[in-house]
Amino acid sequence: MKESNLNLNGLTFLVADPSAYFCTVIHGILRSFGASKVLETRDARGVVQNLTEHRIDILLLDANVPPMGGLKLTKTIRRNEASEYRTVPIMILTSDTRATTVKNARDSGANMVVAKPLSPSSLYDRLAWIAFNPRNFIDCETYYGPDRRFKIEGYPGGVGRRKGDLPVEISEDTGPALSQDEIDNLLKFTRG
Amino acid sequence: MSEKSSDAKVFPVDSRFQQLARRPGGMPRAQAIERAQAGVDEIKQTFGDWFDKELDGIIVALPHSARGYADPGVWLDVVLFHCRQLRDVGTTMGHELVTFIAGNFCEVLEAIKAGAEPNAELIQLHVEALRMSKQDKYKSSTPADFPELSSGLHKLLSLTKAGSEPQGEN
Repeated sequence: MKESNLNLNGLTFLVADPSAYFCTVIHGILRSFGASKVLETRDARGVVQNLTEHRIDILLLDANVPPMGGLKLTKTIRRNEASEYRTVPIMILTSDTRATTVKNARDSGANMVVAKPLSPSSLYDRLAWIAFNPRNFIDCETYYGPDRRFKIEGYPGGVGRRKGDLPVEISEDTGPALSQDEIDNLLKFTRG
Repeated sequence: MSEKSSDAKVFPVDSRFQQLARRPGGMPRAQAIERAQAGVDEIKQTFGDWFDKELDGIIVALPHSARGYADPGVWLDVVLFHCRQLRDVGTTMGHELVTFIAGNFCEVLEAIKAGAEPNAELIQLHVEALRMSKQDKYKSSTPADFPELSSGLHKLLSLTKAGSEPQGEN
């Protein structure tokens, strides 16, 4: 499929994760995809510093990035009216894939949630989804971020629409861990 | 609450990432993934040494006496940090069992953080299971290959979690 080809030449990624080894892995994957520059930091302070010093095109934040975690950091970036990065694509990386965590990530203003441990294909498909499916932004009293009402009809050029791609009820129960497919289902839940 | 209520502003955003990533001339998906997987395979060669260092980090941080366990503030965050690292890359490096055991261990540690009583034997059991999981013969194994180990660890986790939950008043 033509639109599946990501062109990451000239783009700068910022990865924030407390683990140096994980950063090495994701750095290698992104460079293999053709990313021109991949910057790394271990904490939120480093994120702020990098956003000040470099032109960052997309943020990949670990949900546990110290001290406040990726979700709170996402909210802070989205709520900063003076920031040029208010609408930058943000991807949350997390191994805590309980329904409440995914829902909280979505409500923080993140564009996408990717389950750890990740695979090259899952990362590629979600980057492609962000690139080829720009979403409107919503600015209201309680939320600033990409429209949470959206549908994933399958990833461009990747796996097709899944058997389980149906709206799901969001429960307040913390529940068991979700698979990446289930996370995607939850993220595409259409709010009434 | 509806996001398109009358007081909400809705506007299109097409970020620089999105505009540039869609340009023609990108690398085909299959090629990009193949290249990335080859890169991951190269990094896998360093996994064994890195795993040993992380496990050492856990062992060194753990208390040497029952009294030491009583103060989780001293060792818990360090052990949790190493454990999360193992969980987050195990499967990517071809060691799904490492991710499973480290994930269970992380949940035990998080329960302790939430107030559960630390159990030295249970913690040592996870350390031993981690040590075992890294062996080459268990590479490519999944938790489903070891149902007794999996259910045993889950059961221990449930018991630990129960210990961190507030007790109802009688």
